[in-house]
Amino acid sequence: MSILANKDTYVVIQGGVAGVNAARRMAEFCYLIKRSLNVLAFVYPPDAGKTHEIPYGSGLVAVPIYKSVAEATKNHPQINTSLVYIGADRAMKGGMEALDDSHIKVVSMITEGVPEKDAKILGRHATKLGKVFNGPSSIGIVSAGSCRLGVIGGAFDNLVLSKLYREGSFGVITKSGGLSNEIIWICSQFADGITTAIGIGGDTYPGTDYVSYLDMFENDPQTKAVVIVGEMGGDLEEKAAEWYGAKKRRTKLIAVVSGFCQESLPKGMKFGHAGAKEGLKGEGSARSKSDALKKSGAIVPATFGALGPAIKEAYQELLKSGQVKEPVEPVMLPKLPKTIEEAMKADEVMVAPLIRTTISDDRGDEPCYDGYPASELINKGYQIPHVVGLLWDKRLISQQEAEIIKRIMMLSADHGPCVSGALGTIIAACAGIGMSQSVAAGLIMIGPRFGGAVTDAGRFFKYAVDNKMTVDDFLAYMKKNHGPVPGIGHRVKSLRNPDKRVKELVGYVKSLNIKTPCLDFALEVEKITSVKKDNLILNVDGTMAAVLVDIGFPVDSLNGFFILSRTIGLIGHWVDQKRQDSRLIRLFDYLVNYAAPKRREVPPLK
Amino acid sequence: MAKVLEGPGMGLMKKWGITVPHYVVVTSVDELTKLGQANEWLKKSKLVVKAHEALGSRFKLGLVKVGLDLKEAEAATKEMIGRQVGSITVSQVIVSEMIPHKEEYYCAVKSTREGTDLLVANCGGIEVESNWDRVKRLAVEVGQQPSVEAIERLAKDAGFTGPLLKKMAEFAGKMFICFDSEDAQYLEVNPVVLREHDSELIALDAVTLLDGDAKFRHPDWNFAFAAEFGRAYSKHEMEVMAVDSKIKGSVKFIEIPGGDTAMLPAGGGASVYYSDAVVARGGKLANYAEYSGDPPDWAVEVLTDKVCSLPGIKNIIVGGAIANFTDVKKTFGGIINGFRKAKSEGKLKDVKIWVRRGGPREKEGLDAMRALKDEGFDINVFDRNTPLTDIVDKALQK
Repeated sequence: MSILANKDTYVVIQGGVAGVNAARRMAEFCYLIKRSLNVLAFVYPPDAGKTHEIPYGSGLVAVPIYKSVAEATKNHPQINTSLVYIGADRAMKGGMEALDDSHIKVVSMITEGVPEKDAKILGRHATKLGKVFNGPSSIGIVSAGSCRLGVIGGAFDNLVLSKLYREGSFGVITKSGGLSNEIIWICSQFADGITTAIGIGGDTYPGTDYVSYLDMFENDPQTKAVVIVGEMGGDLEEKAAEWYGAKKRRTKLIAVVSGFCQESLPKGMKFGHAGAKEGLKGEGSARSKSDALKKSGAIVPATFGALGPAIKEAYQELLKSGQVKEPVEPVMLPKLPKTIEEAMKADEVMVAPLIRTTISDDRGDEPCYDGYPASELINKGYQIPHVVGLLWDKRLISQQEAEIIKRIMMLSADHGPCVSGALGTIIAACAGIGMSQSVAAGLIMIGPRFGGAVTDAGRFFKYAVDNKMTVDDFLAYMKKNHGPVPGIGHRVKSLRNPDKRVKELVGYVKSLNIKTPCLDFALEVEKITSVKKDNLILNVDGTMAAVLVDIGFPVDSLNGFFILSRTIGLIGHWVDQKRQDSRLIRLFDYLVNYAAPKRREVPPLK
Repeated sequence: MAKVLEGPGMGLMKKWGITVPHYVVVTSVDELTKLGQANEWLKKSKLVVKAHEALGSRFKLGLVKVGLDLKEAEAATKEMIGRQVGSITVSQVIVSEMIPHKEEYYCAVKSTREGTDLLVANCGGIEVESNWDRVKRLAVEVGQQPSVEAIERLAKDAGFTGPLLKKMAEFAGKMFICFDSEDAQYLEVNPVVLREHDSELIALDAVTLLDGDAKFRHPDWNFAFAAEFGRAYSKHEMEVMAVDSKIKGSVKFIEIPGGDTAMLPAGGGASVYYSDAVVARGGKLANYAEYSGDPPDWAVEVLTDKVCSLPGIKNIIVGGAIANFTDVKKTFGGIINGFRKAKSEGKLKDVKIWVRRGGPREKEGLDAMRALKDEGFDINVFDRNTPLTDIVDKALQK
């Protein structure tokens, strides 16, 4: 048996994130004792209608969220307990809502910092209704082997270590949430463990005091002794002593009180919980509490350290008198399934990776590009082209190569609003489309006819150079197998109207005195083709391609240089339109050659 | 519980219709001089000047001067402002009118578990302390208002008669409403005096303790709460309070000068048991500290930094019970960072560190603490199998 919480306890949790975390802990306990999840509903109006997925074993339980306690209990009439995790400013309203629901018999408030007046009103209201209001600032309530309310009991391992999977003989009542686990643990190590442990909260006026719970424990035949962990302030311990001394009690009472240090500290210096304060006339001191408890016949260890041995002694007496028997431990207990991460850490599973990467690693405190930390690259003077080299070709390129790439990027960053890419972006921007989509609209244009010939140009020039072809052989080969030579030809530029960008790039690369077999070959090709037709010149795609192949970039990366560079321009066009708040544009019909059939009659449907 | 200084305390009483003397709170003599030009009462009345700080025994310290005219009040203000008393610098004084009176009474309202006690006595000042049996009590249940008849019966019980009975009952009624409406935990007026010229009851001195947790519904609480232990908060204490107000969970820090055992325990409950153990062992506490509610690691690091900066410490007690949900590894991470920083600044020389803890990720956390040994820390680490306060016994063993 137990008090307050048992196998028939079903819970609604009022509140958000903290409540969900508590539900996870409660699910761990339910899993340990092999009962289904005792949290049936959440009340959290902003998310009403949705569900929270609570891990249970290796699965997930969907727990519905309602907008009110009434709605939750209507849908789940077994609910008889509410846990309140609502902020201090709204906690009272939430607590009242739960108390006023006829299904709910126990309300435990976890919220800290609830105004004293509100706590008193809630406590009084519960008493009037014959219900239990526990808290505020309660860590929770746990009945070994049957029910956990809140995070009391801690992590799964601790539940097992503290033998919370089966009943013992000791009741626990504590103001301190942090000490509740400690006492549960002590009871499991020095005795046979607990029946029920209750955190009543460290506020000045907890909704339910020691005496109410002592009465309940007295009426629970399984509980043979009760441990109280008190502290200075208020008069709850004195009241407990009064109760214990009033008549012969079946249960043993073991109590410790904190706050003796107060006697040797500067007067008025207060610490610990909100309720831990001496009265104005010195009442409520640790000394007066401990004396009162001793006088009542309770066992009062001198220090916290002596609590374990005192519990042990009480347990031995209970064993000797035959009131309790040594517990039988279950042979097997469920183990909480490990997460993949935990299992991998313990070398218990091998997972086949889904993807493989060879260029970067984000698992440290900063990204590493091909192994080099980004900040170190910055601090040692490396530039964006070096990052391109690392991520596209997995090598640290030279300063000279970086300069070439920088120039390529600067030359091809933009080419005005009329080209397909920029126009695509501008039309999208004027239609009110966002940046990433508008820029993507421009990037989509990059292909065989616009900017996307770099890779192919590089591939064929390289093919020719690798196979030591003559220009004539090359042109014949292209004509036979592929068609026009990529990288040759321009829509508007020609021999007489040369492309300044090409001249600039070729001039620079040539000035470096490096070996440029592809570029040399491409220029030879231009000599022949431009004679055939004025605009069959080496264009900017072709020039870039030849140069990049010459400095060792893989053919498949080449279009990337144009895409990367032109993205700068496309973003610029989007921002430019946005800044001007441009209107939606549509084509004028005089710009369209309407070559469609003239208007005619639709024949009857056959 | 949050203590409020006289000025704002009287302000709250005035708000609920309780007559208080004229008063002004000033931070300089100039301010008082200007106020003197604008307020007739400052020129006409005899005045009281008091240091407006959270200080005990102001009379003894010469920080209360009575029976002054405005010139003398200015001189007293000049003398008090800037005076250093322990860690407190007087930065404000309250100047109020003296109320000529013959009779003194007592009225207080206090919170009890069952509701509210309304206390009245027909003596006041220091007389009431030696005649506590003359204080009569009316217990008001949670959520209830006392009836006029009940309060009048109380005043009668306390020995008030005639027209004064009604006046005292009315005064006590207002005190109750002020208490109830302002989320007070304790209100005391001692003395309540009968003003000679119009026989009106005046609240001459006020003790006001408010429920700090209720601040969210009192937008007009625009005053700072005063430290409750007769001294101002130190710089380090205020820094920790500033962190505390920003985070989930809590970090707390109070310095106790002259101690040699530094405390860095977890939990509002366990921290006091640890402090008790130190005192029981004959040790001298250098501070009180506590962190709980799974605070962020950086907040625990700030707290650790302050603890390591305490002068003359020999031991640091990093105690804690078996946590429910505070992540031991994470919070210990903050402590470890704090220790490393302190060490690099030359602190922690000849300081022994004692650790005991359990809870979520206890093994990882304790292992990380143990590893500090390799970095040259004098650290002893224990797990849940060592009883809670045994590390104090070990630390203070001679």
